[in-house]
Amino acid sequence: MKNSTLVKGTAAIAVGAALLLGGGGTLANWNAEATAAPGTIVSGDLNVVKSVNGVWKDRAGTVIPDITAYKVVPGDKLTFTQDLTVTLVGNKMAANVATTGISATNGFTPANVAVSAPALTVGSTAVANPLKPTVTGADQTVTATITFEFLSTTTGRADTTASYNFNNVAFQLTQVTQPGLS
Amino acid sequence: MRIKRSLQAAALIAAAVVLGLFTVQGTYALWNASAVAAPGTVSAASFDVALTAVNTGQATNMTLANGTAANLTLSPAGTLGPGTSVTGGVLVTNNTNAGGQFNTAITVGQATVANTAGGTLASYIIVNAKTATSSTECSSSTGYAQIGAGGIVSPTVGKGGSIVFCFQVGLTSGAPSTVKGQAVNISLPLTARQLCGVPSGC
Repeated sequence: MKNSTLVKGTAAIAVGAALLLGGGGTLANWNAEATAAPGTIVSGDLNVVKSVNGVWKDRAGTVIPDITAYKVVPGDKLTFTQDLTVTLVGNKMAANVATTGISATNGFTPANVAVSAPALTVGSTAVANPLKPTVTGADQTVTATITFEFLSTTTGRADTTASYNFNNVAFQLTQVTQPGLS
Repeated sequence: MRIKRSLQAAALIAAAVVLGLFTVQGTYALWNASAVAAPGTVSAASFDVALTAVNTGQATNMTLANGTAANLTLSPAGTLGPGTSVTGGVLVTNNTNAGGQFNTAITVGQATVANTAGGTLASYIIVNAKTATSSTECSSSTGYAQIGAGGIVSPTVGKGGSIVFCFQVGLTSGAPSTVKGQAVNISLPLTARQLCGVPSGC
C-alpha cells in the first residue's frame, strides 16, 4: 500500500517534469551548421589610351620628325599612324572601337587635297568589331591610320603656304552586350 | 501583424525597383572609354624661284608677293654693230622650302623684240639662248641656239639648285645704217614648273 502511493506520487512528479521539459525552447530540434565561402568577385576592365604620339611618314615611308617643319608640295602623300592601347578584361567583355572622324581646319582648296578617314587595324587586318579580350588578358594595340595627299593635279601656284590643321581626332571604345548579360 | 505589413512593403519596393530598371534602360549604360590623337598641322611649301641678273647682280623672286610675275632687266654689256652680238644672263635658283623632293624645270620662251620711238631695229635683231652651269659661260659663243616655239628647257633643277640662262643678242650683218642709235625692248618669258615627284606618275 505504501509503495503504490510513493509510486503514484513519483509518477506524477515525473510526468510533471516531463511536461515542463516539453514546453520550453531550451530543448531544440536537431540542428547543424556549415560555412560557405563564395570567394571574391573581381571586376574586369575597359580602357583605350594613347600611350605615345602618332608618327607621320612620307610616301617613301621615311619618318617626318616634326610635321610643322615639313612643307608639302603637290604630289606629297603623308601617312599618320597612331597606336592606341586597348585594355579589355572580363569573361563576357566585348567592345566596339570606332572614331568620330576628322573635323579639320582646311586652308587648302578642297579639290587639291585628299584626306582619308581614320582606318582602324589590329596588326595589318582591319578591325572586326566587337573586340574581345586577348587569351592572356593582355592589352592589344589598335592602330589608326590617316593619309593626307596634296594632289599632283594642283596647278599654277595654288595653295602655296596653305595649311591643314587636323585638330583633335577622337577614338571611342564602347562595351557591347553579349549573351549572358542583361 | 506588424511583421506582415513590413514584409508587404518590402515586396512592393522591390517590385518597383525592378520595374524602374526595365523602363529607364538608357541610364544604365555599359562601360566606355575614349582617347584623342592630335595629328597636328600640315603646311604647304612656298614655290620660290629666285632670279639674279648675271651682269648687274639685281635679284628678284620670280613671283612677287602680290602673286604677279616679276620683271628682271638684264643689261647685256656692250653695243651692237652689224654682225656682232652682246650677251647677258640670268641665274635661276630653286628656293623652295619643301620638306621632300621638289624638282623643277625652267623654260625660256621665244623673245618679243619691240621697237622704241618708232624705230625699225627690231627686224634686224636675233636672240639666241643656251643653258649653262656658270655665268662665265655666257660670254662664250659656243652652244647658243635659236629659241624654238617650245622654248629652251633647262635640265632638272632640284631643291636649292640653280641654272643659268645665257642670252645672245645679235644684229644681222645686213642691218642698214638707218638703225644706228635705235633701241629695242626685248622680253623673254621664263617659266618654272614642278616636275612630277610621284613614283607612279602624275
